[in-house]
Amino acid sequence: MAVYIQSAAQITIQSPLCDDWFTSPIQREGRYFRSVEPDFKAFIDPMASRRMGRLLKRAIASAMTALDGYEAPLDAIVTGTGLGCIETTEKFLNAMLRDGEQALPPSFFMQSTHNTIGSVIAQRLKCHGYNNTFTHRGTSFDCALQDALAQFELNDISSALVCANDEMTEAYFQLFDQIGYWKAEGVTEAMFHHPTTEGSFAGEVSAAFLLNTQSSQQTLCRIDGLEVLFEPTDERFRQAVEALLGKAGITREEVDAVVCGYNADRTNDEVYTRRLTPLFPQTTQIYYKHLFGEGFSASAMGYYVAATCLKRGGIPAHIRYKEGKATRPKHILVYNHFQDKDHSIALLSC
Amino acid sequence: MNELIATLKEEIIEVLNLEGMTPDGIDDNAPLFNGGDPSVAGLGLDSIDALELIVLMERNYGIKLKNASEGKEIFKSVATMADYISKNRTK
Repeated sequence: MAVYIQSAAQITIQSPLCDDWFTSPIQREGRYFRSVEPDFKAFIDPMASRRMGRLLKRAIASAMTALDGYEAPLDAIVTGTGLGCIETTEKFLNAMLRDGEQALPPSFFMQSTHNTIGSVIAQRLKCHGYNNTFTHRGTSFDCALQDALAQFELNDISSALVCANDEMTEAYFQLFDQIGYWKAEGVTEAMFHHPTTEGSFAGEVSAAFLLNTQSSQQTLCRIDGLEVLFEPTDERFRQAVEALLGKAGITREEVDAVVCGYNADRTNDEVYTRRLTPLFPQTTQIYYKHLFGEGFSASAMGYYVAATCLKRGGIPAHIRYKEGKATRPKHILVYNHFQDKDHSIALLSC
Repeated sequence: MNELIATLKEEIIEVLNLEGMTPDGIDDNAPLFNGGDPSVAGLGLDSIDALELIVLMERNYGIKLKNASEGKEIFKSVATMADYISKNRTK
């Protein structure tokens, strides 16, 4: 059964709910950026949203934008999030400390679980179908997408909203900083091409993708397969790539581009080079974290970028990491890894 | 009492995150809850707000509600809340 991405929406450190990043991206150089938020009043009544943290508002706005104009029933909502509503969780924990664990604020408590995001989206959309949340650090979205595809495969659903939602609070940024997640001197564009040190820069992502089994004029692309791997050897990785492409009936030479999560961290980026160079020596490589930053949901933007390139029939220069053949892309491989442990590869086609 | 009512209104706006609302915009005697009936004037709070108000009374005034059935009368309006607080506060 073919599964298509019908639409997608994002709220990130680029202009929200649009694809301005494709033609006129906001250049980001530094250490830490919060999302550029739209006017949430257009999506949620202020009285209804007053208990929601910012991440929930972003999740609803991106979900509603992805579903704009879609009138068929929605069968499932699958969410990927590394940290859940961490800002609210911090408020809850701080209130516990402040009040000696006596008077616990209920709103913060209710929003302090990862699956609040999927539930609030479901409430808002009145979707009573399958609802699941995946929390697997940097591959949270990839696992959510894999689960949605499995539900399609089982014929349990014929449509799904697959989301990625993560925020980066000041406190969490500081914690990550202590373990070397962020470059001390900040990240510049040049560092992506010649990383000499560890660390990246922080961004935030809320993204929503509408999937179903009907191709239409609006369809962004088809998902030909997705594989999630844990600590694969280079040989196991090669086999997984070959199997994924074989299932779609194409060869490595027919892959027009590979989307990679280069993030200016030397150790992170070496993994992409090591894994991909033997398999795709002449293939165009696309990068995107210089536009959207690093975070547990960042990989969702790799899919977003690939789907947009396929729909628009081109790869703009500012996301080309390595030049390969210059053709209208038909097949794009999306490759993501987290600390060289969790890996995902997906093939998107049009 | 008027001072307590004014303080209470500010605390309610803050704890319930009533964006765009000012203490002057809350009538002392208007119902806090409307039972889901939008035709009833007032703030239109819900059950989760009630929990927040209980926590507010405990944290700011040292009042622990022991009998849940009392809540309906106590949380009728800002004025009834202030009246109850003034008689039972421990801090």
